Formats: sequence, C-alpha cells, structure tokens
Amino acid sequence: MFNRFLRKFIDIFLQITTFLFSSISFLTLGAIFLFVFNQGWSLVNFDLLIYPYESSTILAEPIDESISFCECEPTIDLEENVIYSVKWGVGLVGGFDILGQPSIQLAYIHPDSPLKTLHNKGFEGGNVTLLPEYLVQKISYNDRSASFARRGVERMVTELDSSNSIYEIEVITQGGGIGGSVITTLWLIGLTLIIAIPLGLGAALYLNEFAPKNQFTKAIRSLIETLTGVPSIIFGLLGVAIFIPLTVALTDATGGNLISGALTLSVILLPVVIRTTEESLKVVPDDYRQGSLALGASKAQTTFKLIVPNALPGIIASILLGIGRIVGESAALIFAIGTVVKDEITITGKSTSLAVHIYSMMTDEPANIELSSTIAIIILAIVLVLNLLIKLISTQLMKGKLGGIN
Amino acid sequence: MKQIQVKKIVDNIVEKTLFFTALLSASFIILVIGVIFERGISPFISDNDGLGPVNLLNFLTGIIYLDGPTFASNAYGIGYLIISTLYIAFLSLAIAMPVSIFSALFIAKIAPRWFASILRSVIEILASIPSIVYGLFGAGVILDLVYQLSVIVGIQSSAGFSVLSTVIVLAIMMIPTMTVITEVAIRSVQKDLIQGSLALGASQTQTHFKVVLAAAKSGIFTAAILGVGRALGEATAVSLVAGSRRSEISFDLFKTTATLTSTMLLGMKETVGLDYTIRFSIGLVVMVVILLTNVILNFVKSKVGRVNV
Repeated sequence: MFNRFLRKFIDIFLQITTFLFSSISFLTLGAIFLFVFNQGWSLVNFDLLIYPYESSTILAEPIDESISFCECEPTIDLEENVIYSVKWGVGLVGGFDILGQPSIQLAYIHPDSPLKTLHNKGFEGGNVTLLPEYLVQKISYNDRSASFARRGVERMVTELDSSNSIYEIEVITQGGGIGGSVITTLWLIGLTLIIAIPLGLGAALYLNEFAPKNQFTKAIRSLIETLTGVPSIIFGLLGVAIFIPLTVALTDATGGNLISGALTLSVILLPVVIRTTEESLKVVPDDYRQGSLALGASKAQTTFKLIVPNALPGIIASILLGIGRIVGESAALIFAIGTVVKDEITITGKSTSLAVHIYSMMTDEPANIELSSTIAIIILAIVLVLNLLIKLISTQLMKGKLGGIN
Repeated sequence: MKQIQVKKIVDNIVEKTLFFTALLSASFIILVIGVIFERGISPFISDNDGLGPVNLLNFLTGIIYLDGPTFASNAYGIGYLIISTLYIAFLSLAIAMPVSIFSALFIAKIAPRWFASILRSVIEILASIPSIVYGLFGAGVILDLVYQLSVIVGIQSSAGFSVLSTVIVLAIMMIPTMTVITEVAIRSVQKDLIQGSLALGASQTQTHFKVVLAAAKSGIFTAAILGVGRALGEATAVSLVAGSRRSEISFDLFKTTATLTSTMLLGMKETVGLDYTIRFSIGLVVMVVILLTNVILNFVKSKVGRVNV
C-alpha cells in the first residue's frame, strides 16, 4: 500500500518536473520579446529609414537670395509646444540635449517653406533637405545679428520673424538611421536567391530525376549534406579567400561587397534549397512521369512542364527559409561583406546587413542596445511572418491543395 | 524523325546542365575544406613577410593570444582556446540536454494535445531566432543577471562577461533544436514496447522514463551531437558575452573566457598579413575539433545507443 503511494508521489513529481523544464522555453521566448520591445520599441518609427546612420553638422544657405516669404499656415495641427514662424514656414520646439544644454529641434517644416531645400555649403555641395527632428544650432542673417540655440526657442523664432534675409543655417542631422542596412539586406536577399534557387533547383532535379543510382550519386549527395554541418563563420572565411578577391578582380570593388556577400550566402543556402526542393519532388507520383513519357513527351519536357510546376511549393518554402537565413546570418557576413554601416548603397561598395549592423553597434563603445533592439524587433517580425507562411504552405501541401496537377 | 533527334539533343543538354549544377553544389564543400586547409597551413610553412614561420606546437599549446604590445609570429597560442571551447560546449550540453529531454517527453507524452501544440510552436519560433538576437539578449539581460549573481556570491566578475553567461546563452540556443529532434525520437518509439511495459504493471510515468527514454537513446545522442556542433561553431553570440580572454585557461564560472570562433572575430582590421591568415588556421582547428567531437560522440552513440530494453 505504501509502495503504491510512493510510486504515485514519484510519478506526479516527475510529471511536474517535465512541465517545469518545458516552461523554460516559454520563459526564454517571453524574456527575449520583453527585452527587445522594452528596449527598442520607442525607436520603431518610419523615420529610421530616412535618417542617415551618423549624425553630422550641416551648414546650409538659401538657394535663392531673393526669396519670397512663405507666409503659410501649417497644413497639419501642430503640437502645443511647437512655436511656428508663419513668415518662414517652420515650426521649432525647445528642449534639452543629453548634456542638459538648451537645444532647438525642427518639429515641422511647411512644404512651400523657402527653408525646405537649401544649398549645402560643405565640401559635399549639392542640396540638402531639412527634415523634422534635425537640431537647429544657429541661424545667421544678412540684416541682423545671428540667433543661437542656447538662447532659447522663443527668441530664435522672434528673431527669425524680424529678419528678411537669411545668410546661413547650421543644423545637426538626426543619426541612427538604418535605411542603408535595410537596403543592403534587401539586395542580399534578391541577389542570393537569384544565385541559390536556380542552382539548388537544378541540383535537386538532377538528383531526383536524372541521376543513376550509383556510388557517384551517393557521393554527390553526401558532399552536399556535409555543407549543413559547417559552422557559418567558416563560410565567412570562404568568402574572404575566394569571393572577395573574385569580385575585386572582376568589378570596381575594393573589399567586401554585396556580390561577395550574396555568393557566400548562396553557398550556405544551397543544401537547404536542395533538400527542401527534393522533398517536394519526391511527392510527385511516378505514374505522372511514366504517363507523360508514354504520351510522347521527352524527358526534358516532362521535367520542365510537369515536375517543376509540382516542385513549386518546395521552391516557395526554400525561398522563405532562405530569406530567414539571410536576414539572420551574422558570422559569415562579418567576414564576407564587412561591418561598415553605410547610407548610400552601391552593389560593389561596402555596406552591411541588419544583423551585422547589430553586431557592429554591440561591439562599439558604448554599445547601442536601444537601436540594436529596434533592429532585433524588425528581424524577429520577419522571422515570425516567415515561420507562419512556411507553416501555412506545409499544411496546404499536406491537404494536397498546392500540387500543380489538376 | 528529325523531331525525335532534336528532342534527344535537348534532353542531353538539359541533363548535362542539371548534372553540372549538382556537381557545382557538391564541389563547394571541397572548395571550403581546400581553401581553409591551404590558407590555414600557410602561416606554418611560409615566412609571413619576414616574421618567420609560426611554430605549430607553440600555436596548438600556447596560452597567450596576441596579448600585450608585442607582435611576432609566435604571439598566437590557441591551446587555452581549444580547452575553453570544449569546456564551454560540454557545460552547455550538460544544461541543454536534461532540459530538452524533459521538454520533449512532456510535449510528446504528457502534455494535453492543445498545450503540446502551443509549446511546439514556441520551440519552433525559438529555433528560428537568429544567433545575433540571442547575442543581443545575452549582452542585455544575461550579462546583467550573471553580474548580480556574482555580487550576491561575492565573486569579482567583469560586468558579467564570463564562462557562465556564455554557457547560458549557448544552452538557450541549443535547447530548441535538441528538443525537436528528441521529440521526434520519442514519438517514433514502438508502441509494443510501451504497451509491454504497461502490461507488466509499470505506471505511465515509469514507462516514459525507463522504457521510452531508453528506447530513444539513439535519437537523443543525435540531438546532443547537433547541439555540441552548434556550440562549437557559434561565433557572434559568444563574442558578445564571453569577454574575449587573451591568455591562460580559466575554469572559473565567473571569469572571462573566449572560444576559438569568438577569437576569429577579434579586431578585424587588416585583410592581409599574418593577423588575418592565422584566422584560417583557427578555422582549420575548429573544423578538426568539430570533426573529432562528432567521431567520438558517434562512437559513444554506437556503443550506448543500441536498444536492449
């Protein structure tokens, strides 16, 4: 009697233990989401895509000296703390910078304002467009003494209204933008898929449709499988040793670039693409192949008109898996493309992906955890959506809804 | 007649092209191994631009990696890194293995179906989170927790950068994959075994722990092999929490550490010279370590994994 009681007790204890251990996964996921949202949510904003990464000081002058004034009312309702100059069409808001000094932020700029587009006096030249959240440091006039940010926002607007001709404006641009890294990531996704999908599809078609069943085919299969076990940092070394020199020799690149990054990622993706595509090829019944051949279609016709359409779910799944891998890859890309954050993206120039952007900021002193978490939110959102889509496709596939044959 | 000939030619071209793509895909692994080997071996046999060749024994057993101002061909010792990499990998396995086995058992056998499917989705999401996010989480949360812990137990630690933080982050990263594989292994245990055990009077839970787990041993070992592989190869997440230790082996949980892969990421400024090629040598060592660990674990698996319930 006692023994059975003890047994029951131990059983319940063990069951509870398994529950407790499995709840670790819940806790981890919860903690990760809580952390990144807590740290990064405040920065999630469309402006992140517009702003450059580094903040810089710009000295700008009006393009046309004989400007007519704006005299325009704001097109949107401004917040209460914004002081608006009807004459010039700009709304300013006062605040304090990290050092506690008074600062003036550009809160609103009217589309017709003469200050909207200015001529950059710096060595870069060209025109510069003022954006909200730029900090106004100083405004110099042709007809009166200059106004400074440290004297407060009311005084600056009063002085602005009393002047008829602006000589130059000094602004600090808002930094912390991730637009460049977003574009690089998109480029990487596009380029990598263009290389990896046809190559992987070809290999999968050969292995599943054409390859004779012999030792050689077996060897090819196991060589491709072995790629999955190689850590991604090793692929980074491959990029450095082969793909960067290759692209430097063939294009005007000088170091890591988008093409070398995409080539490296393609090698990483290949085994995944091949396996996923092959799985969807295996589902196609042999009757279809024999039927097609019996009707007089050639092997090539059968492959491209019958087998490839049927492999579509597998191809879509491997595209989705590939995007997830590209967005999350860091170690290989640190080597194969580099950690330089850029705003202007060229295909042969240096730039970096979102994941490496996080790495680059986390290894800086001091680490920028807020912006890193904001990027992490973006990456997590992409990963979650992809997960959901893959699940959707695989359930559809199981129901037989996505097969190409009717 | 002519049409058939054309078809044959097209067939031939298509087959040759597809064969070429398969061959190209298979050749990448050879390219990877070849390049790492060729570059990795060069610091030991070349003159390294006047610095002199690196002593292989010194490299493999040294306990200082480029610490201090001196820069010489023999300033790179990775012996301590090999030890600490293995130490960290097996510590994280020691945490991840029980957690993933118990979780898998819970999902496959104990939990109600609706709860199991929620848990499965949670684990799938965890498995797809990229390592850089785990690194960020480690740097933002785990470092702080470990630092608080070190204050409580009264041991000095440098802001939480430590063996313990690294092991926790790696274990968290290993658990999802290992749980998925273990669960598959548990679910593929034959029904006869389970029913036999129940018929002999064992309770459900006794059967789960004594029969099901024993029968799933082989799958559990596969999970462990994959987990260790991930721990040995992980670079970015580790480099954000390890604290890049430059010398001497330390088994102390609260002291800073480094692994082979995290050291490969250290201060990459030059793209030529010994400081760069030595990374290929470390890469070569990483591949050898992973290969040897796999061979050993597979050997153990073949000895222990045999089911004789």
